[in-house]
Amino acid sequence: MTSNPKVIVAGAALTPFNRRKDASNFRDWAYHAFDAALTMSALKRADIDALFVASESDFFTMQLNPASILASDLGLVGAAITRCEGGGASGQIAVHAAARAIQSGSAARVAVVGVDPSASQLSGDTVRALYGFSFDAWTDGMTGVSSSALYALSYQAFQARFGGTDAHLAAVTMQNRANARDNPGAHLPRDDTGQDIADSPMIAAPYRRLHCSPLSDGAAALILSNASALPESRKAAPEIAGMGAANDTLHLGARGDPGQFTAKTRAMKRACAEAGISPEQIGLAEVYDAYAGAQLQAISALGLSDDVFRDLDAGTFAPDGRCPVNLSGGLMGQGAPVGATGVGQTATCALLLEGRYHAALQPKHAPQYAVADTHGGICTTSAVTVLKQGGAR
Amino acid sequence: MIDHRLVLDYHLPPGWMAPFVEGLAQGQTIARRCEDCARTSFPPLRSCPCGASAGAWVELDGTAQIIHRTDGQDGSFALVLFDGAATHSVVRLDNLAPDQNIGRLAKSTGPLPQIILGPELESSHP
Ligand SMILES: [Zn+2]
Repeated sequence: MTSNPKVIVAGAALTPFNRRKDASNFRDWAYHAFDAALTMSALKRADIDALFVASESDFFTMQLNPASILASDLGLVGAAITRCEGGGASGQIAVHAAARAIQSGSAARVAVVGVDPSASQLSGDTVRALYGFSFDAWTDGMTGVSSSALYALSYQAFQARFGGTDAHLAAVTMQNRANARDNPGAHLPRDDTGQDIADSPMIAAPYRRLHCSPLSDGAAALILSNASALPESRKAAPEIAGMGAANDTLHLGARGDPGQFTAKTRAMKRACAEAGISPEQIGLAEVYDAYAGAQLQAISALGLSDDVFRDLDAGTFAPDGRCPVNLSGGLMGQGAPVGATGVGQTATCALLLEGRYHAALQPKHAPQYAVADTHGGICTTSAVTVLKQGGAR
Repeated sequence: MIDHRLVLDYHLPPGWMAPFVEGLAQGQTIARRCEDCARTSFPPLRSCPCGASAGAWVELDGTAQIIHRTDGQDGSFALVLFDGAATHSVVRLDNLAPDQNIGRLAKSTGPLPQIILGPELESSHP
């Protein structure tokens, strides 16, 4: 194997994810996330060779070519700039593009900024229609099939094959929102009971309102660097050990098994092969829980469990379990500003590995490996990143 | 706050899917049959999972069996299998009671091509 340069996560930061009521906008959030990540990295603006921006939709920012305006705002004029878009996976795709740029030798120190506004000023129907166009706009989108309905149909297919009850969906919902209570940047820190969940409105059976993730305002940023291009103080920060990406047939009905996140399985195999590990070595995971059932489908597809319902019941994914899942609260608890989601998941993994995460969520013994799992569509576009503990730990 | 209102009127060419789109407006189930493996897809896939892209347009009889169904505030939708198709389809359900397992493609009602499944007995052909 040729030795690629080691890609270190020198800086990682997230703004709070929520609905802003302070007249700030996506440019403010991107600025604050970038500034915090840069400070952590001990680098300066002039050190940054390239900027990768993840943002899903110009309908929400009202800004085409967002990388150009953010580069100006962030003081990165002269750097190579790229906007990355892959629906819900946009942020993780940007992480991959940035890390590959370092591996290729074309850049030494790279900024990744993910950002999106929730567009909460638009009507619910407009937002639903716009998100409908993130599936096949010409069939699902125009038919008016909602994201919730597609996820619900996929989860029903998963359930038909593997089992699972309403209690399992409730367990995921309560755990993610409970984790969010210890995350001061979370959108939905809640302590709903099983009864509260069962009483919330049915959106698309089996999914009720409380089984769904919210759309949030927010940004996340990373500073990635070739290990040799960092000051000594940051050389031992966590590294990106493996990346994998894959896609699946867009149409749920054209898949061999509409309940299986096949693209995620492929992406995870590629990421693990690159990192030289197997999924059992993963000690914590931030997974793409757009809906409660999607978290279970993700855990299964990633190979973090061969019986996800049994392991959920056994507490395997709880904060004190063998492989804590979504300590941040995940999309359901922490929130989901689309472009920021994947960047934020990788930032969260890096902060947890380095022992710099919110104290109440920080594991007593940080594991060797973590995985950040992001997808777009009904796991149509999958991107998975394996992070490894830094050299000094 | 900056108030900014946009009204967007699109006129979209249907492209290669034209027979499928025109079929929906007539309540016809126009599917794509692969010339290599004879697998029939609805909605049509331009490239068959077997790898071939040559295909022919065929009309199915429009009846479909419901495999999974979801109801809620977003509406009623289902993953269904149209008779004669090898791929499943996601459809909007219109007037199909929860105990009905079979339906028939209905005409798109508005300007958009919509895949709508209605009651089986009500013929949607003119
Ligand atoms: Zn074929």
